[in-house]
Amino acid sequence: MIFVTVGQHSEGFPRLIQGMDEVAGRIQEEVVMQIGSTTYLPCNARWFRFADYEEMKLLNKAARVVVTHAGAGSIITALKAEAAVVVVPRLSRYAEVIDDHQLELARELSTEGRVVAVSEVEELEGVLQDVTRPKLRSKRANRLIRALRTCLEEFEQD
Amino acid sequence: MKLALVCSHGGHLTQMLELMEAFEGHETFFLTHDSVRTRKLENAYLIPVIGTNIWRMAMSTLRIGKIFWRERPDVVVSTGSEIAIPAFFVSRLLGTRTLFIETWARITSPSGTGRIVYFVADAFFVQWKQLLNCYGPRAHYEGGVF
Repeated sequence: MIFVTVGQHSEGFPRLIQGMDEVAGRIQEEVVMQIGSTTYLPCNARWFRFADYEEMKLLNKAARVVVTHAGAGSIITALKAEAAVVVVPRLSRYAEVIDDHQLELARELSTEGRVVAVSEVEELEGVLQDVTRPKLRSKRANRLIRALRTCLEEFEQD
Repeated sequence: MKLALVCSHGGHLTQMLELMEAFEGHETFFLTHDSVRTRKLENAYLIPVIGTNIWRMAMSTLRIGKIFWRERPDVVVSTGSEIAIPAFFVSRLLGTRTLFIETWARITSPSGTGRIVYFVADAFFVQWKQLLNCYGPRAHYEGGVF
C-alpha cells in the first residue's frame, strides 16, 4: 500500500494529491491518502482529511511507501514506522509555503540517504517502483535527550 | 519539577513526543492547539491556533497567563511553533525558566519563533549544527530528534 500524507498543515496540497491520484489511476497497488484541507478530492484512492496520531502511525506502519510533504512531523512518523519515504516538498515557487525550508529538509535527508526527495509530481511514478527502506539512526536523538536532561537538572539545582 | 510542554499540534508535537524520555521523573502537562490528535492527550490544555494574527496572539497570552498562574510550572519547554512566543513572554513575567528546542525542520535558516524567543529563553537548542551560524553564542547543538 502507498500512503500519501500532507500532515496537519492548515493549507491543502493539491499538487501532491492530484498528482498521486493520477498515479493511483495507472498502477495496481492500493493508495490511501490523508488530504488535510486540500479541496481536490481523489477519485482513484481512498482518502480522509485528518486522523489522530495512533491511526496515522498504523497507516505509516502498514504502508510499503509513504509519500509525504516535507513536514518534520510527517517525515519523523514515516521514518519511525520504517517505511520507505518519498518526500515532496511544498515549494514557495508554487505559493505552497512562504519559504523553502521544506525543500531544504528534503534535500538534506535525501543526501543522508534516508528519504527520496522529489520536487515535481511528474517524477513520482518512476520513483515509487523501486524505492527502499532507509537505515535508522537514533544516536542524535539520544544525545539530545541526554542534553535536555542535564539542562533540566541544572535548572533544578539553582 | 513541574514542566509545561508547549507546542503546536502538528510536527512540533511529534518532536515533543520524541523527547518525552528527557522529561521522565518530572510532572508534565501539555499546552497545545485543539485538534483531532491533541484531544487524546492526557493532561493537556488546548487553545485555538494563533498564526500571525496579533489579536489571537494577545488572546493566547491571556489564556496562557491564566493557565500558568494556576499550574505554576517550574520550567516551560517548547519545540515551537508560535505558541512559544506568548508562553515564553508569560514565563518571563512569572519568573519561570524556559527551554526552547528549535524545530528539526530548520537546517540553515532560523524559524520566526526561534528568532524571537532566542532573546528570552534560558536555554536554547538547535537540531542541526549548520543552524548555529544563524544564532548567537547562547544557542547549543546537541543532536536532534531524528
